[in-house]
Amino acid sequence: MLLLKLTFRNIFRQRRRSLLTALSLTGGYILCVFSFSLSEGSYSNAISFFILDHTGHIQIHLDDYRLRPKIHKTIDDPQGLSELLDANEEIESHTLRVFAPAIAYSEKDDSPAQIIGVALERERSTSTLAAKISAGEYIDNALDAEGYYSAMIGAGIANSLNIGLGDELILISQGADGSIANDIFIVRAIVGNRMSPDRTTVFLPLTAAQEFLSMYGSVHEVSILLKDDGEARVQAAALQDQLPELTVDPWQTVESTFYQSMQADKQANNFFMGFIVFIVFVGVLNTVLMSVLERTREFGVLKAIGSRPLKIALMITLETGLLATLSLVVGILLSLPLIAWFTFWGIELSEPMDVGGILMSHLTGELSLFVFGMPLLFIIFFALLISIPAGMRAASISPTEAMRSN
Amino acid sequence: MQTIKLAFRNLFRNTRRTILTVMLISLSLTALIAVDAVVRGMLTLFVENVTSTLNGEAQIHRVGYRENLDVDLFLDNSMEIEQALSQDAALQSYSPRVISGGMISSSYNVSAGLLYGIDADREQTISKVAQAIVRGEYLTGEDSELLIGQSMAELLEVDLGDRIVLTLSETNTGELAQALFRISGILEFGMRELDDNFVFINIVSARKALAMSDQQTHEFVLTFVNPEDAENPDSEIFQQLNDEEIEALGWMDLNRDIGLIIELMGYSSLIVGAVLFLLASLGVINSMFMSIYERIYEFGVIKAIGTRPEEVTRLILCEAFLLATISCGIGLLLGFAVNSWTFANGIGFGEMEFQGIAISNNIFGEFHISQFTQFPIYVVILTIAAAIYPARFAARIIPSEALQRSL
Amino acid sequence: MNYHIASRLDALANRVSQYRIWSTILLISFHSSLALGADSAIEIIDQMEALYQGESSSATMTMIVETPQYQRTMEMQSSSMGTENTFIRILSPRKDRGITTLKLDMEMWNYLPKINKVIKVPPSMMMGSWMGSDFTNDDLVKQTTLTEEYFLTLEETDELYTIILIPKEETVTVWGKIDYVVDKQYMVPVGQNFYDDRGELIRKLEFSELKEFSGKMIPSRLEMIPMNKEGHKTIVTYDDLQFSPPDVDESIFTLRNLRSRF
Repeated sequence: MLLLKLTFRNIFRQRRRSLLTALSLTGGYILCVFSFSLSEGSYSNAISFFILDHTGHIQIHLDDYRLRPKIHKTIDDPQGLSELLDANEEIESHTLRVFAPAIAYSEKDDSPAQIIGVALERERSTSTLAAKISAGEYIDNALDAEGYYSAMIGAGIANSLNIGLGDELILISQGADGSIANDIFIVRAIVGNRMSPDRTTVFLPLTAAQEFLSMYGSVHEVSILLKDDGEARVQAAALQDQLPELTVDPWQTVESTFYQSMQADKQANNFFMGFIVFIVFVGVLNTVLMSVLERTREFGVLKAIGSRPLKIALMITLETGLLATLSLVVGILLSLPLIAWFTFWGIELSEPMDVGGILMSHLTGELSLFVFGMPLLFIIFFALLISIPAGMRAASISPTEAMRSN
Repeated sequence: MQTIKLAFRNLFRNTRRTILTVMLISLSLTALIAVDAVVRGMLTLFVENVTSTLNGEAQIHRVGYRENLDVDLFLDNSMEIEQALSQDAALQSYSPRVISGGMISSSYNVSAGLLYGIDADREQTISKVAQAIVRGEYLTGEDSELLIGQSMAELLEVDLGDRIVLTLSETNTGELAQALFRISGILEFGMRELDDNFVFINIVSARKALAMSDQQTHEFVLTFVNPEDAENPDSEIFQQLNDEEIEALGWMDLNRDIGLIIELMGYSSLIVGAVLFLLASLGVINSMFMSIYERIYEFGVIKAIGTRPEEVTRLILCEAFLLATISCGIGLLLGFAVNSWTFANGIGFGEMEFQGIAISNNIFGEFHISQFTQFPIYVVILTIAAAIYPARFAARIIPSEALQRSL
Repeated sequence: MNYHIASRLDALANRVSQYRIWSTILLISFHSSLALGADSAIEIIDQMEALYQGESSSATMTMIVETPQYQRTMEMQSSSMGTENTFIRILSPRKDRGITTLKLDMEMWNYLPKINKVIKVPPSMMMGSWMGSDFTNDDLVKQTTLTEEYFLTLEETDELYTIILIPKEETVTVWGKIDYVVDKQYMVPVGQNFYDDRGELIRKLEFSELKEFSGKMIPSRLEMIPMNKEGHKTIVTYDDLQFSPPDVDESIFTLRNLRSRF
């Protein structure tokens, strides 16, 4: 309406000044968006990575197995638990696992190894194990002609023991009943390379591992993938209520060191960005006050003819708001392509960075409401904040003062 | 001279605007100084954790040792190596170590761990083991002394004076060897990797247990007089010792990932600083324009009476310079104050861990001369640069237009 | 000289010399019984160690391992020669049948038939339990060096000998003290108590149920109870024990025999 037209006119009256002010606002906005996007994106990337790699959104164990693993701390009714989880609509999929330290032997060599028994088909849809295979094929849990089970071994073991596809692998460990667990397995796949975190792991079919360790039917861990990424804590709490005798942890607890480091880093970032926006607004305040004072005469006239102080203050607020909005629009338009590039391509770090035990290898962006919205809120907040003293100044201009000015 | 006095007077004609502009510039400078201090503090913490806690600034091993820490891959010409080390003036100190994995048993429990045989005296010059002692005493060279991490001591249910039996494989033969020790000191490094897994004994005892001669060592740890030499792969000691059998590497090469983080941090500080100043300059430009407009009548007059454009430019730039100087003064004072606070109290970010280094301590701000010399210079230069555009505008004011005082 | 005085002096001299002889004899016998004390402690322990082994022996035993999580029963056949050589073969349960342990002096090997492999027990397994029991591999290897590596003190009551073993400075062991209790009447072990350096009892081994095997009275039941792990214990029962059996000779205690079928 009239007010809007007036506001527009006022802004464009001093084009250069408005432009410079708008530029600084746009610049500030883009900087914030970029910083948030990079931070959110890189962390989200790392999080999806480890969730799919081995953690899952939620993990279930007996008691404190996670912190102090002992072979006898088992979940004894995995069947029942699986049925419960399959029926849960929020759960995308889940898998069952068994762990044990072992020594792996070939003809002449030996090497320490970690055995992970997995429910093969469930594992395929809950983690990226199948994708990590660098040679051979994902195994099944069938016995071969000689009665041996198959195994998938890390590249480190393949190298230390000098064995490859089709060779025999001997594993020795201690069974859950105290006996010496010992058996032969046939290598049917190699996982990862010599630098991978799983390089000393031997993956076995769940039933094979259970038999090997005399752990009939029990498992150590259930890992769950949810349909909705952000729901981990809520769902974990709900499941915990349903399963009082077990321990249900969301990924934030499982990878708590990473989570805390991430939170700390993000907080520091937020704070710093907020401060930058504040500095930008010191400059904006300058401009706005200037524009008020140079129109002292005008305001005086307005007041003389009866405009309410509040209306005048509101006009200032509107002007500031409009300027901010225009800057924001330009800012969004300019930053969209940049952020999109980062989100879909990103920068690869030459060496992955270890944050709280998790490797982050890419700097990626994120295209989301948070990334664009947070800085927007900052700017609008500050814009409103500074329009207060400016508006008050404008509103308090007396007609007489105005007449006397240039 | 005249210009300066004029500039000064002009600045304070509109005090409010000048104050806001000064605030803009000085806060930016303060922010830069404060952030630089904190980032330096964080980096120092990192580097210190990596180098001075346990692993020194450079290490020498047999080629291939680092992959699996194979106890059979030792350096067997220790005397030669030590000679080379003692003759290199760039080195501050060095110390030998014998390392092995093994089982650590008490009367109550058993656990796997890593055994470090260290030279008690020389080790103090390259690592913080002695300082990590929370109870008991550091090694004095007596045969059966052993230092253990607090969390491992808890796992094994032991305390000072208790027996510990170390079970290991001898080098070359792989024969079982067992040795008895008594806990003489309990350590807390504050890094879970160390506290959970390491025990320290005298190097002589370690060599005996592993059936190694005194010419045989797994690792030499070095510190440099000038820490930057450690980061330079062309340093003499590296050139001298590296060959097919021996590998001498600085900590940055041993921990490539940390080197990367440090680079990243450096870049991000640079970028943020640049962007911040860019934004601040916009405000400065605006402010200068405003001050010129206010005086546009004046400019018209002086140009009409013959003042040359260069003189006008000079005036504006002088104003900018003055503005910058005042802002720097304030910015430096504020920066100093903030740094003093972070230096004394530190900023707590809570528990963080990057590259296995726990930062649960506060990060303390660090003073550096560049904060108080380089930064203000940049600020002054940038402010003057920002003022060029308005200055040229002022210089080109046409008196007849200006005298009409239209806004 | 007066004859009386001379003869009295003589008598006195005689008396003194007689006294001296007696006292010397007494002193000698007193000393030797002291010496006998330390020696007899060593003798007693040697005797106990030889009890189950003799020159050579062969035995069948049952071992029950109890933990809060499971209970396992194993039947084994064992042969020994002197105190350094032991050969133990698991007969049941079927899953473990054929697993064999060979100990020659301080070295130990396990043979696992399922994978047809002999492994020399590495450091990581030495301190671990033998076959999941409360005996460690280390126990099996170290049992025979008690008399050399410890200071022995003997205490007696009417029924029992208690030999207190304190490890020598250089002795590599986790125990601060071991009590070895022996029944005087039958000269059989009653128990061994293992203490840490602070004198706290960490585990005990109890011997009971005397039975006659090949003419000797021997406790047929050994029970190892750790004090710091609740609900854990291991019971070994001797079902049969024969001394110097004809079929036990050096060829049994070889790596080759470890792998043989039976």
